[in-house]
Amino acid sequence: MNQGGLPVFLTDALSGDGVPATLVTQIGEQQISDWHDYWRPALEETLARLRVIGVPRARWPQTTHWNWESKTKQVVGLLAFRGFAITSQGVTQGLMRVDLNHSGRQATQIGKPLVYVEYLEVAPWNRAEFAKPRYRGVGTALLTAAVDLSLEEGFHGRIGLHSLTQAESFYRDACGMSDLGIDENYDNLRYFEMTSEQATAFLG
Amino acid sequence: MATHRDETWWKTRAQREEGHYIGAGSLALDPQFADTSRPQLVEREQTRVAFGKLIELMRRRKGWTVEELASEADLDIGDVLLIEDDLAVPPEPRAVYQLAKVFEIPQINLMQVSGLTVPRDPNLRQETVRFAARSQSVEKLSQSEHLALEQFVSVLSRATIESASDQSDTASTNNS
Amino acid sequence: MQEKKTMTLNLSEAEMQTLDELSVKKDLSKTAVLRQALRLYQTIEARLDLGHKLFIEDSAQNDKSELMLL
Repeated sequence: MNQGGLPVFLTDALSGDGVPATLVTQIGEQQISDWHDYWRPALEETLARLRVIGVPRARWPQTTHWNWESKTKQVVGLLAFRGFAITSQGVTQGLMRVDLNHSGRQATQIGKPLVYVEYLEVAPWNRAEFAKPRYRGVGTALLTAAVDLSLEEGFHGRIGLHSLTQAESFYRDACGMSDLGIDENYDNLRYFEMTSEQATAFLG
Repeated sequence: MATHRDETWWKTRAQREEGHYIGAGSLALDPQFADTSRPQLVEREQTRVAFGKLIELMRRRKGWTVEELASEADLDIGDVLLIEDDLAVPPEPRAVYQLAKVFEIPQINLMQVSGLTVPRDPNLRQETVRFAARSQSVEKLSQSEHLALEQFVSVLSRATIESASDQSDTASTNNS
Repeated sequence: MQEKKTMTLNLSEAEMQTLDELSVKKDLSKTAVLRQALRLYQTIEARLDLGHKLFIEDSAQNDKSELMLL
C-alpha cells in the first residue's frame, strides 16, 4: 500500500543535526509492525532498567499497556478518526490518533469543533526517561499535523487533548496551550486546548 | 498542509521539547479484538505494578512500616518488600491470602490483581491497569493517591458481589 | 490532499436556514457542517452496531435518558 507522506525534519539529540523524516497520514501495517517489533521490546528494556536503577514509579511511562493495533482496528473505516505517524530511518518514531467529533470547552470556543488528540505516543527511544533520547521533534511534528488538519477542516487550528501527567509542562509551556484543569471524567488527566490564536503562534 | 517549512523551521521547534516528556491520551485498556494475534506483552507487568502499589498504599494508609505489615500479616519482611518492589517475582498464594485478610479485601479479587489467577472480570482488569497508571510514589498519601486507592478498593469489593450474583444466575439457568 | 467528488444538494428553506445557523454557531463553512454531521452519524451508527446505547444527560435535573436512533 502506498502511504501518503509529507517531509518533516527531526533533530538528532546528540549531534543537533537535522534528520529527514516523513509524516504519514495514516497508521498502516508498517506502523503496527514497527510498534510490535521495535517499540515493545524497547519498552520492556526501559522498564527493566528503570526498575534496576530504582526510578520511582511516578516517573515510569504511563502508557506501557497501550496497544496500537487495537487502537487502529477500533476505528477502521470511520471518517471522524485519523491516524498519523512519523517515520525516519526506516522506523516509526511516533504515533497519533485524532477524533474530529469533539468541540471546544474553553469560553472563547465553546461548541466549536476542534481536532481532539486521542492518543499521542513517541517511540521509547525518543523519550525523556531514556538516558539519551535519540530524536527530538517527534511530538512537535505530530501536534503540527493535528493543527494543520484543524486548519484544513475549517476548524481554524483549534485542537484539544488530555495530557499524560508527566507531559503537562510540554503542552502548557512549550506549546502555549490553555490549561483547562483536571478532568475528573477522564482518568483525572489535565485537559488542554489550543485556540486559533495560539495555533497561529505555535506554527509561527 | 503547509509545505514551506524548511529544516530550520522544524529544528527550532524541536528544541522546545528539550527536557519535556511528551504524550497524551486515556489510560483505559484497549478493547480486545478476537483476531489480534499479537498478545499484550506487558499486561502481566502492569498487573504486578498495580498489586505492588495497592499493597504499598494500603499499608501507608494504615500508617504501618513494612515491618509492621509483615507482623500483622504473619509474613517475612522480605516477602513484603518483594511484593511492593520487585515485579520479577510473583507473590506466594499464602502471602496474597494473608494480605487479603489484613486489608479486608475479597481474596478472590486480590488473587486476580496479583496475577496468580486468570482475570475473569473485564472491569476489574480495566481498573487494575488504570490504577497502576495513576498511582505515584510519594511518602505521604496525596489526595490523588487517596482517590485512586478508594476507587480501586471500591471496585475490588464490588466485583465479588456482581460475580457472585452472575454465578447464582448461571446456576438457576442450568437448573431450569 | 485527498481527491474530492462534487455533489449537488437540494434542501428545503428550513433545512437551508438550519445549515446557515449551524454554520455561524460553529464557525464552520456549510460544507464543513455537513461533513461533521456525516462523521458524527457514522460514529454513532458504529457504536450502535456494537450494541452500545446513546444517552443524553440533563445534569441540572440529574436525569439521563436513552436517545432512540433508528
